[in-house]
Amino acid sequence: MWLVVVFCLLIGIIIGLQMPVLFPVLYAKYMSIAILAALDSVFGGIRAYMEDGFDSTIFVTGFVVNALLAAGMAYLGDRLGVDLYLAAVLVFGVRLFQNLAIIRRYLMKKY
Amino acid sequence: MRNRNAQLTIAVICMVLGIMLAIQFKTQENINDTLMPGRVEELSQQLLEVTKQRDSLSEEVQSLRDKLQNIRQDNQAMADIQDEMIKAHMAAGTIPVKGPGVILTLNDSTHSLQTGENPNYGIVHDYDLLTLVNEMRASGAEAIAINEERLTAVSEIRCAGTLILVNWVRIGPPYVIKAIGDPDMLTSGLNIRGGHLETLKILGVQTNLQKVDNMELPAYHGAMKFTHAVPVVTQANEAQ
Repeated sequence: MWLVVVFCLLIGIIIGLQMPVLFPVLYAKYMSIAILAALDSVFGGIRAYMEDGFDSTIFVTGFVVNALLAAGMAYLGDRLGVDLYLAAVLVFGVRLFQNLAIIRRYLMKKY
Repeated sequence: MRNRNAQLTIAVICMVLGIMLAIQFKTQENINDTLMPGRVEELSQQLLEVTKQRDSLSEEVQSLRDKLQNIRQDNQAMADIQDEMIKAHMAAGTIPVKGPGVILTLNDSTHSLQTGENPNYGIVHDYDLLTLVNEMRASGAEAIAINEERLTAVSEIRCAGTLILVNWVRIGPPYVIKAIGDPDMLTSGLNIRGGHLETLKILGVQTNLQKVDNMELPAYHGAMKFTHAVPVVTQANEAQ
């Protein structure tokens, strides 16, 4: 399982580095928020997998919708003059660490 | 089976995440490498300005070279024109001049104010300088400078808060007015009974008038720009 995750991540990074695509500079900020949300989703998925409560549909939709929502909120915040992206960073950051902590505990129990 | 399915999903999503991460890395690096758009605009604006300046300067160099070439073709007519030019320059105040004259130094009164006294009385104003300069000109001054600011045909003497503007340069007390001309004429002109200098003395302004055998007045440093006035060419001018 871990091998699969790390291996696929590496393949993805290599493909991404080879691709001649760049995000537009204006949207790079929103993209980074989206990536944060995606990271959170992935860790959430792994956690669910270890808890045996994994659901592909929830995982995939969560991944896409969270990313889009986070980017959208950051964009809206910029339009309104409120630093809404900070809220996204806070929420997803906290959840990321929570998920990581839970995964760590499972791993410790397992081995 | 469910397990395999889950692993596949996670694997695919991880790959997507990896691609996103990599592209974001590259983008971020690209942003750090390139200048911000606003800065680019500013720099290109500057470049444009400097280029324009360079072009105009090189044009000026060309015209000056042409003039120099003309001057080198030294003949009598040219020498006459040179003479005229120097006279015009002296009148305009664009070249330094030297000669005998007077130095008039004015400073604000040291007398401490009593209640009810007008503080304006002991102070040198722009109109004091103007009146004195006028007096000097009436007495035959050929070149005048106030605190090393040469008075030209377009110079102003104007109050600017606590200081005085001459040639758009702020000057403050003590005011040293140097005038080239006949020292005796200038001195008697300034010391005339009931003249402005006498009034200033009565008001408590510190004055000092001295004759000088030889002194130098600086040239006007600014640019002579005529944006509105153009010379009228008459028959007589053309004949010359």
